[in-house]
Amino acid sequence: MEDHTYSVSEITRLLKKSIEGNPDFTSVWVKGELSNVTYHSSGHIYFTLKDESAVLSSAFFKYANKSLSFRLEEGMSVLAMGSFTVYEKRGSYQFIVAQMRLEGVGELLKRIEQLKNKLLDQGLLDPARKKIKPFLPRRIGVVTSPTGAAIRDIIKVAMRRFPNIEIVLAPAKVQGADAAASIVRGIEELNNRAHAIDVIICGRGGGSFEDLLPFNEEPVVRAILSSRVPVISAVGHQIDHPLSDDAADYSAPTPSAAAEIAVPVKSELVGEIDYLAIRAQTSLASRMTHLTNRLSGIAALRCFRNPREIVSMRELSLVDLEQRITAALKDAVAGGRQRLLALPDLHRLWRSEARERRSRLDVAWGAVEKLSPRGVLERGYSLVTDARGRIIRSVRAVKSGESIGVAVADGSMGCTVNTIQREVRGGKENAGKGKAEL
Amino acid sequence: MEKKTPAKGKPSFEKALEELEKIAERLEDGSLGLEESIAEFERGSRLARYCREKLDEAERRIEILQKGGDGTVEKRAVRVKPDTGEIEDDEDLQGSLL
Repeated sequence: MEDHTYSVSEITRLLKKSIEGNPDFTSVWVKGELSNVTYHSSGHIYFTLKDESAVLSSAFFKYANKSLSFRLEEGMSVLAMGSFTVYEKRGSYQFIVAQMRLEGVGELLKRIEQLKNKLLDQGLLDPARKKIKPFLPRRIGVVTSPTGAAIRDIIKVAMRRFPNIEIVLAPAKVQGADAAASIVRGIEELNNRAHAIDVIICGRGGGSFEDLLPFNEEPVVRAILSSRVPVISAVGHQIDHPLSDDAADYSAPTPSAAAEIAVPVKSELVGEIDYLAIRAQTSLASRMTHLTNRLSGIAALRCFRNPREIVSMRELSLVDLEQRITAALKDAVAGGRQRLLALPDLHRLWRSEARERRSRLDVAWGAVEKLSPRGVLERGYSLVTDARGRIIRSVRAVKSGESIGVAVADGSMGCTVNTIQREVRGGKENAGKGKAEL
Repeated sequence: MEKKTPAKGKPSFEKALEELEKIAERLEDGSLGLEESIAEFERGSRLARYCREKLDEAERRIEILQKGGDGTVEKRAVRVKPDTGEIEDDEDLQGSLL
């Protein structure tokens, strides 16, 4: 025993040799749960793999974890492939991981479901919150890998549909541990108004469940939800449905489909504009034709075609009128002459009638003359007037000694009243001297 | 929600197209007087021209954002293979990640 004494270094080296050289400890798959996950600034990841009764110190170096498609988190069940190494200075052995797979997606799916429920509870997935993208975007922003199939498909489809479209690519990592942060930066940058982006396509091509994990991560989902610019989520293939689809304003089954949603077909739009312009033009033209036809129909009327006719027609009617007047006049003259021939009879008749009228007039005149004062005077009455020429109708109108005038048929006399005698109706009343004396 | 009409005063492409559609319909149903029809037609022609201009407004440009040395984001135009849509660039695109 004594002659087989090893130094610490010697025995450790021996241990190292037997472990590292042993194929049983090389490129083996180990199943376990992650704990004490530490992302080191150097890019290496340190963690412990454990199960119910043992722990295994592990390292996932930068060169190896580059291809890792998901972020390591506490409690994840993983399958790790790697080899064992002995770290002499610490006297420990370590599992150096070359690659890693998620052991079961059940746990992850549960977490995604929990996140979705949380967002639903917060009302963040409410359809009313969805932003509406403009029908014709000036520029479209794309958040994806600059080298992936997604950007190729998007450019190809967008350019085919709208050859002069502008695309701004925010290059992002779409898988791996820092993919989520990269996608968030891309979305935030494209929201900068200076880029004048009208719609953002955020996504990647198909991949494994782990590959698509960044699009299920809360920071990405929240960045999409708080984007000012409408977002189209376009992740993987038809069957993939990450949370980014729920959070986005539009979700497309593939990046190509997202480009179709974002960009209208220019030729169709041009066609539609032309069609509408032609419709407007033809209906206006047909209206003009119709109106022109109506107008020329009216213009074709004789009166417009031969304006002289209006005058000649008037001339004609004028001549006609003249002739009619002349004829009528002639008729009238002839008629007058006829009646003139019959006139002597009329004259005679008129004369006898006149004679009769004269005699009747004489009789009437005689009657009238008899009633005139002159006639009365001729019949022997006289007219007595006072000094002013007023007719005296009563003895009371004169006084004794007053001068009065008496008119008879052939002249008048001046007299003086000597006596006045008033005659009472039905008897005589002596009113003193009142008798007129010649 | 984002405002839908970008330029002030000018209608959005959608609005202009909608208006053009209405004008075509109004002209077709023939209820307008001649002067009105001509006015509508002129407006329609202007809208159609505006729409066509809108469609030709952008020139094809594919740009990629990259972080400059001082941390500011710059836009760099890249060429694209028209058949595949692949970005034609010699530089390391991964290196231009934001």
